[in-house]
Amino acid sequence: MALTDTRPESGTDATAVAPSVVPSPLTIFGSGDHKAVGTFYVLAALVFGSAGWIAAALASAHIIGSGSFLTDTTGTQLLQTSKIGLILLVIVPLFLGIATYIVPLQVGASTVAFPRAAAAAMWTWLLSSGVFIVASFIDGGFGGVRAKSVSLTLFSLGGLIVALLLGTVCVLTTAVTLRTPGMTLDRVPMFTFSMLVGGSIWLLTLPVLLANLLLIWVDHRYGGGTVFGAASSQFGQVSWIAHEPQIYAFLIPGLGIVADVVATLTGARLGQRNLLLVAIGAFGVLSVGAWAQPVMYPAFSEDLVWQAMGLLVLLPLLLLLGGVAAAFKDGKPSLKSPLGLAVASILLTILGVLAGALLVISPLELRTTSFFANGQAILILSAALAAGAAGIGYWGPKMTGRQLADGIGKLNVLVMLGGGVLGGAALCVLGFATRFTGLSGAHDTLLVVSVIGSALLALGSLLVILALLSGTRKGAPEAGADAWGTGQTLEWACPSPPPTGNFGDLAVVRSPEPLLDEEA
Amino acid sequence: MTAHVLPPAPPVQRPRVLVVGSAFAAAASFMVFIGLIGVYLAARADVISSGSAWLPKGVAIPLQQPNTMFITLIMTVFTMQWAVSAISKNDRVNAYLALGLTLMLGIATIVMTTYLWHLMKLDVAAGIQGVLIYTITGAHIVMLVLAMLFVALMALRALGGQFTARQHDGITAAAVYWYAMVAVYALIWISIYVTK
Repeated sequence: MALTDTRPESGTDATAVAPSVVPSPLTIFGSGDHKAVGTFYVLAALVFGSAGWIAAALASAHIIGSGSFLTDTTGTQLLQTSKIGLILLVIVPLFLGIATYIVPLQVGASTVAFPRAAAAAMWTWLLSSGVFIVASFIDGGFGGVRAKSVSLTLFSLGGLIVALLLGTVCVLTTAVTLRTPGMTLDRVPMFTFSMLVGGSIWLLTLPVLLANLLLIWVDHRYGGGTVFGAASSQFGQVSWIAHEPQIYAFLIPGLGIVADVVATLTGARLGQRNLLLVAIGAFGVLSVGAWAQPVMYPAFSEDLVWQAMGLLVLLPLLLLLGGVAAAFKDGKPSLKSPLGLAVASILLTILGVLAGALLVISPLELRTTSFFANGQAILILSAALAAGAAGIGYWGPKMTGRQLADGIGKLNVLVMLGGGVLGGAALCVLGFATRFTGLSGAHDTLLVVSVIGSALLALGSLLVILALLSGTRKGAPEAGADAWGTGQTLEWACPSPPPTGNFGDLAVVRSPEPLLDEEA
Repeated sequence: MTAHVLPPAPPVQRPRVLVVGSAFAAAASFMVFIGLIGVYLAARADVISSGSAWLPKGVAIPLQQPNTMFITLIMTVFTMQWAVSAISKNDRVNAYLALGLTLMLGIATIVMTTYLWHLMKLDVAAGIQGVLIYTITGAHIVMLVLAMLFVALMALRALGGQFTARQHDGITAAAVYWYAMVAVYALIWISIYVTK
């Protein structure tokens, strides 16, 4: 198996030979081409996404009414597995896949840094994901009865984290070292910058999760399982990644996607761009949550820092919203599905961050049950998924070389928005039941609504795959280099799909929107 | 569907890709230990605040071996820097010598750690202390082995004539990861061996 990548240090030599649209298995095996690796990440993450949201729906359905179709242990394990899975098998690899494909193009590089490592990371992630799913099915979830299955789960999670970290290092190194001349850090496209921030936060926090897993595994395997490995405390030690503020860290690349999509599809330069970059950075800083571990630090929710982070994160979000709103005002919005999905992502993000702000206010007593926190997590994860879908719709023509079917994307706007709102907001409303006893009677109804929401998000994941595959159909109009005609950043200067080496001569960059400068 | 044609850029001066990548990897490795040591200190504070001694009865952690390891690892910082300095002057003999010495001192540290485990008489199943101490020190050995593999690989590449005075990023990158490993040991030395 020959590697088809180009060394990053070597000069670029774009040939006229364009790769096939969706990489064939033969291309994928052994390929270090960042486009093949990125595409495969995206497709696999979306397939896992569909399964993950179905698992979340089943976990909610399990507590409807009195007679459940699952045992309590199975239901709990399903809920925990879906929470971890939606982050490590879906959202992080989805963004990482888009970044592996797009970041080298946005910075004018011929390939991703360490292409073989990027490919190895993708395969390790895929293998670990498979093992994680199998282990979860054989009673290996957190607190499972079969010791060997639990060990397998812990091992696979360790593999997942190492793989995702390795992939993140490749993307970050690309953004830091392989930028084309003139592209200073404040000139990188918003998505690349958001990957720099988000990836850095992942790099600082996911290793802490690895440390938690190591302790659980050593105690479970060799220490008798009385402390860290105790069945009742296993999930508590890792649950912080699915809760505020850490959950925001998995949304950060989505903010950059939304900004890029809005800028291009409104045809306007983002005003006060440096302020928006600072806002994304501040959002990242306020999402570091590895210290807020309920098992190690039970009183974290009474900590002023935790409460302040939950409230302060609204400020950078407001700044970003201001920037996006200004682009809508200054430009001429093109009613395409990526823009719709970006707006859906913004709305879900606002709801999720507002819910997070309410969660930290102690007098509201929203932490008495886990419903509100779970609802908030669904809102944030659905916002991230919608942003990922917007990114795929936006860069899909670049990836496939042809225009995607916009109808599927437009349908998905409704599905994603509906799914996120129904799935998350219903649980948030249920979280108020401790204060408003009248809501207790609506317990089952709200859960049914949440189940429908999760099912819609599963459907939404499938629709994203369909939309991407629509770009491979015969007869679809060719996309051209600048598929939208209003591209601002370098990825729209190379052919669609990009040939080996991506660019011919490297471009000189004199502003954050080099293609607009060229037209002016 | 516009096609953009941008003017050609001047020849690119690529920054040090491998060094930056290694720095990111070192940061991630470092954070694993921040997590582990954070849990260790929190658990230790809980036990001590309840009025008990941190280490179980009959368990003693001598300081002589940890001190020896610390001094050994500090020496490796100098040998690693020696290697970087030598290769940057195209002084291959000194570079090979320094890399070889670094690897030998790394092996010595592994041997000393296993000897310390033997001396401690701490059962991993004895409680929270055993799990934490063995996980942290064991994870450090894993990081040390990774750093040694990195150094060995770069030494082999140097032997193959791949590095020059102008282009020796591999050795520098290995040095970055090695320094991070030594910094991690400094944390372990303070928090586990000295404060006990």
